[in-house]
Amino acid sequence: MMILQNMDHGELSNAFPHHQNQNPTTTPPPSLKRKRNLPGNPDPEAEVIALSPKTLMATNRFLCETCGKGFQRDQNLQLHRRGHNLPWKLKQRTNKEPKKRVYVCPEKTCVHNHPSRALGDLTGIKKHFCRKHGEKKWKCDKCSKRYAVQSDWKAHSKTCGTREYKCDCGTIFSRRDSFITHRAFCDALAEETARVNAASSINNSTLGANNNNNNIIGYNNMMIGTSMAPHNNNNNNNMATQFASICNKPIPFTEEATNNQTTTRGLSLWMDHHHHHRQEATMATNNNNYHLNWVFGSKISTNPSQDLSSNNTITSTTTTSLPILGSIVNVPSLYSSQHQPHQTCASSSSANMSATALLQKAAQVGATSSDPSSFLGALGLKCSNGSDQGQDGNNNKFCGVYGSSLVLTSSSNNINREAEKNELSQMHPSKRRHVMPNEESGGGQTRDFLGVGGANHHLPPFINQSLDLI
Amino acid sequence: MHLSPYKKTHFNNNIPHLHHHHHHIHDDDASPIDMHNNTTTTNSTSLCSSDSGEPCEDGKWACKLLKECAIAISQRDSTKIHHLLWMLNELASPYGDLDQKLASYFLQALFCKATESGHRCYKTLSTVAQKSNNFDSARKLILKFQEVSPWTTFGHVAANGAILEALEGESNLHIIDISNTLCTQWPTLFEALATRKDETPRLRLTVVALSSATVSSVMKEVGQRMEKFARLMGVPFEFNVINGLDRLGELTKESLGITNDEAIAVNCIGALRRIEVEERESAIRMFRSLNPKVVTVVEEEADFSSNRNDFVQCFEECLKFYGLYFEMLEESFPLTSNERLMLERDCSRSIVRVLACGGGDEQNNNKEEFEDCCERRERGRQWCEKLKKEFSGAKFSDDVVDDVKALLKRYRGGWSLVLPQQQQQEEGHNSNYNNNTLSGIFLTWKEEPVVWASAWKP
Repeated sequence: MMILQNMDHGELSNAFPHHQNQNPTTTPPPSLKRKRNLPGNPDPEAEVIALSPKTLMATNRFLCETCGKGFQRDQNLQLHRRGHNLPWKLKQRTNKEPKKRVYVCPEKTCVHNHPSRALGDLTGIKKHFCRKHGEKKWKCDKCSKRYAVQSDWKAHSKTCGTREYKCDCGTIFSRRDSFITHRAFCDALAEETARVNAASSINNSTLGANNNNNNIIGYNNMMIGTSMAPHNNNNNNNMATQFASICNKPIPFTEEATNNQTTTRGLSLWMDHHHHHRQEATMATNNNNYHLNWVFGSKISTNPSQDLSSNNTITSTTTTSLPILGSIVNVPSLYSSQHQPHQTCASSSSANMSATALLQKAAQVGATSSDPSSFLGALGLKCSNGSDQGQDGNNNKFCGVYGSSLVLTSSSNNINREAEKNELSQMHPSKRRHVMPNEESGGGQTRDFLGVGGANHHLPPFINQSLDLI
Repeated sequence: MHLSPYKKTHFNNNIPHLHHHHHHIHDDDASPIDMHNNTTTTNSTSLCSSDSGEPCEDGKWACKLLKECAIAISQRDSTKIHHLLWMLNELASPYGDLDQKLASYFLQALFCKATESGHRCYKTLSTVAQKSNNFDSARKLILKFQEVSPWTTFGHVAANGAILEALEGESNLHIIDISNTLCTQWPTLFEALATRKDETPRLRLTVVALSSATVSSVMKEVGQRMEKFARLMGVPFEFNVINGLDRLGELTKESLGITNDEAIAVNCIGALRRIEVEERESAIRMFRSLNPKVVTVVEEEADFSSNRNDFVQCFEECLKFYGLYFEMLEESFPLTSNERLMLERDCSRSIVRVLACGGGDEQNNNKEEFEDCCERRERGRQWCEKLKKEFSGAKFSDDVVDDVKALLKRYRGGWSLVLPQQQQQEEGHNSNYNNNTLSGIFLTWKEEPVVWASAWKP
């Protein structure tokens, strides 16, 4: 136990019997948000090591058995071992240490301080300790965000300021905060919900009690009656859950998640051209699109003015490769002109990741890649077409990922369009804003020096009249 | 024809309005200024050169003339007043350069002050503004302003940071938003709540609309947008608006709908200055009685309060502040911007209100008519004095300060963040304030502090 000798400051607890009260292999109760640090379910047989902060940061992962020297990388260790001129027998690399080691965080207030939540990777615990409890020494130039771990900082710096966010209305933002604020007030958002409501009300009657449609029914039930903010706590959780899932947070459908068959079956329903399922999907995708827009910073151009009829052409050119998706069935909203189908495909696999994880992943891939397929590739999806940036081209590619053979019958399209129009006209007459006159009067109105219209008799004529004298 | 102060008859003939004006202008004391008599003669050449030595921001003509006129009004020098008003009118224009704009809007206020028509003018301006006010234009205006200038977003980022930290771990949040921000502060907060690692808390938002019918009519739409957005973000959300409140001090726990299981944050953006000066301390006591976890206060750095009985001093302070503001607007917006024009016009109302709607004169009997309170701003230090009696200042964490700095980086140059210690040094060794520590952070524009943001805990 070479390690022991170097640990003058460290405490050691050996062979901590794990199976006292905790059962680390129990799945944590389904939570609304899955914690990223879910590791912390260490092997009960593993040896728990508690090091002081100083020792922890000094400890290297790869240790030479002969002399105890530590190395950050395995290759370096091997190189070093050659220098010991070991007999052939010992030259072989020893098997991986039979005793797995797990480490607890030295910070007493930390949840990972407890052996039942120890982390198995030395590098991992080092980074954790720095991130959570360490001084943030590394600072991004552009945005002043601070990091304790150098690799985190490097990863961030690569993508900082390069991401672009695009709203459904077509405006592009380089700043995330202004994008978020804009999105909250954007008319596109209001319209989207209107359309969604329209879709859900039409769709209500056509749903069966198919178990495979669990997700879909769930969404549908949620969408109906969404006009008021929920007051009941339970409702809140359900709604939030459902929405959270749409917004890239996992929902407690863990059974479906692991059951590929169910998923495939669910997808096969899509394949069966049931057009009403499409409508359910739009609810999901509409909301997903929001997140996707800003998470993935897609630079695919939007044409908001594209009318609905053109969607038919899009659907006709799809391919049928079918990836295995996550538990949430997300199908591109093909009847919605403003919501790009291609943006939704990435969401499905990310449904089980937290938003932060998603952002990190996006950062790794490179957010401004003009070839979205590389991004999707990173997420485990495939795009069959080339990187055509044109409107139709993109739609083809991403529809291809889904094998979206959703064939829209023209009748369903019309129904939606009409419903949508009705909704729109009921909800927001001001949405017909394109014809609204510009009420700001740069010109046109005569104004005297008080800045009001000329017909106001309260204004003293003194000043105006004096001009006439000249 | 050249007008000179010596040819008084022309003035008489051309001011029938003033001639029949029964109310006399009076300043601090009772004796009226007779605008028709030439009580003092002035040498016309002295008008331009007699700058009192007060430095002007831009050293150009507008400040000088305006100050001269203010002095003349306080001295009740009617000839001089006439002359200066006339000159200013010649040179002023709300569509011109910075000087012309300042001249135009301050001339209006000076004129109202001289003719005691402040309230009427203000009412007219308000009515006109309300007519063209709707959700779309208000939204466009406020969002555009936030895009080009951190004037408002500075306070939002700081306040949100403080609120999030203070309410960390709580599951039922209730934010009392006393502001005119039209909820533009909250979407980023929703997003932060939604992406938290632990459970998304429930959020209730109660907006106390700061008077002004323009805001109230728009708030309904704003509320709907907020509800939708919160749904999208997966934040359980409830929205309420309290309109038409005469006095903030009248708010109670009940009227705000506060329940016992929620964690309260009170967010005051430009709110405290809209309270009558005498009632400010009791309003702060009322906030304390709500037992909030945090109170965030954001105000503009100007003092129209301690000098409210000294017209010239108040005028100078006003001119300095709005001069900065107009300059900032000019440099932030593109050249031909409607939004900037609207913001300038909004200022013109405030300026008239502060300078020309004094107490005790015409039409001040029914205060309810004037929904907009006179915005007697105070500096951060002055607010600190008041708030300290009920709360203790909470320092902004390093993360929040970093966020604010990052925010400022996203805008054009000229902006910076100043911490309270630095600001204290700047303010010099004022013997009154030596013992007091300043709370909050300052936004500076070209080294001048313009906005103050602070957080307070019980």
